[in-house]
Amino acid sequence: MKITRREGVLITYALGSCIGISLYDPAIKLAALLHIMLPEAGNMSDMNVFKFADTGIQEMLRKMAAFGGVKRRYQCKIAGGAKMFDMKSAGGIGNIGERNIRSVEAIMRAEQIRILKKDVGLNYARTMLIDAEDGAVKIRTAGRSEIIL
Amino acid sequence: MKFTRYEDMDDTAKDMMREIGSIGTGNAATALSSLLKIGVEMTVPNVEILGFNEAVDLLGHPEDMVSGVLVEMTGDVSGVMLFLMKMDFINEVLGCVLQERIDGYEQMGEMEVSAATEVGNIIISSYILSLSKLADMEISLSVPAFSVNMLGGIMTVPMAEFGYVSDKLMMITGKCIIGGRNVDSNLLMLPDIQSLNYLMDRLVTPYE
Repeated sequence: MKITRREGVLITYALGSCIGISLYDPAIKLAALLHIMLPEAGNMSDMNVFKFADTGIQEMLRKMAAFGGVKRRYQCKIAGGAKMFDMKSAGGIGNIGERNIRSVEAIMRAEQIRILKKDVGLNYARTMLIDAEDGAVKIRTAGRSEIIL
Repeated sequence: MKFTRYEDMDDTAKDMMREIGSIGTGNAATALSSLLKIGVEMTVPNVEILGFNEAVDLLGHPEDMVSGVLVEMTGDVSGVMLFLMKMDFINEVLGCVLQERIDGYEQMGEMEVSAATEVGNIIISSYILSLSKLADMEISLSVPAFSVNMLGGIMTVPMAEFGYVSDKLMMITGKCIIGGRNVDSNLLMLPDIQSLNYLMDRLVTPYE
């Protein structure tokens, strides 16, 4: 997870089935960008907390608050959760992206943070950028024009 | 000795995985060679235990476009096999099979995708077949899936698959040399931890 105030652009490259979650507090120009890989940590206490949606978002909110962020002002945008390979087998290998999206949406709902914009699902990777100056989120993909969330 | 993390692997374990990889890649090269009717060699595999970012860095930039064939292994050994091909490799294959060249992934039609998927499938299947013969194991392979996308995005698939047990990936990598030209491709075998222990039991313990 990365965090910056007033200036700078945060970037996370090539989100596949992972999800990029940006939070922005416009009042103090505080931007944070989290890259999660899996829906929930369960009892994986010894691992990188940012790998999981539940523990990652908790830690992100804690850090933002430490930097003076106020939760009700947060603008949340998410991207990613693609299905990179269309696997024919019944196992969970192909649909982790879908589970990630559902988990992030549920956690944000529980935290009462509205997801303003999202660019999720489908079958391609996305690079996500957030500019601390104005909170603009850009999504870069291969072979498609850049979009602004 | 039981491993609970890839990081715990000692030199014996890595040597064994390299040896397994080398038998696999040797067979894969032979299979590809008979399909393309041209000499194919594969480099001696490396065994790498890397975090996600390091794994991507080893293979290129996260936003690099690559194509990949993914096959899931189940049975005595489970995990995934991933064969990554860049444009020069695809052209080498298309030149041999369809007598054509293309300038970019977006020009790949149904025939081209099918040829590339089949080549990936042959390489992966012959690799696994030799491995299962060697240690008398049953390994089933899924139908291959093909994707063209950013390297970082493709690598999230194996990483997420093992994310609950490990922060690291173990990759057994090998590169193809077709007709003397070093073309950009990478064969990655990513067994899960249980399978790693199974392979160790099966192949190392009897000789100790």
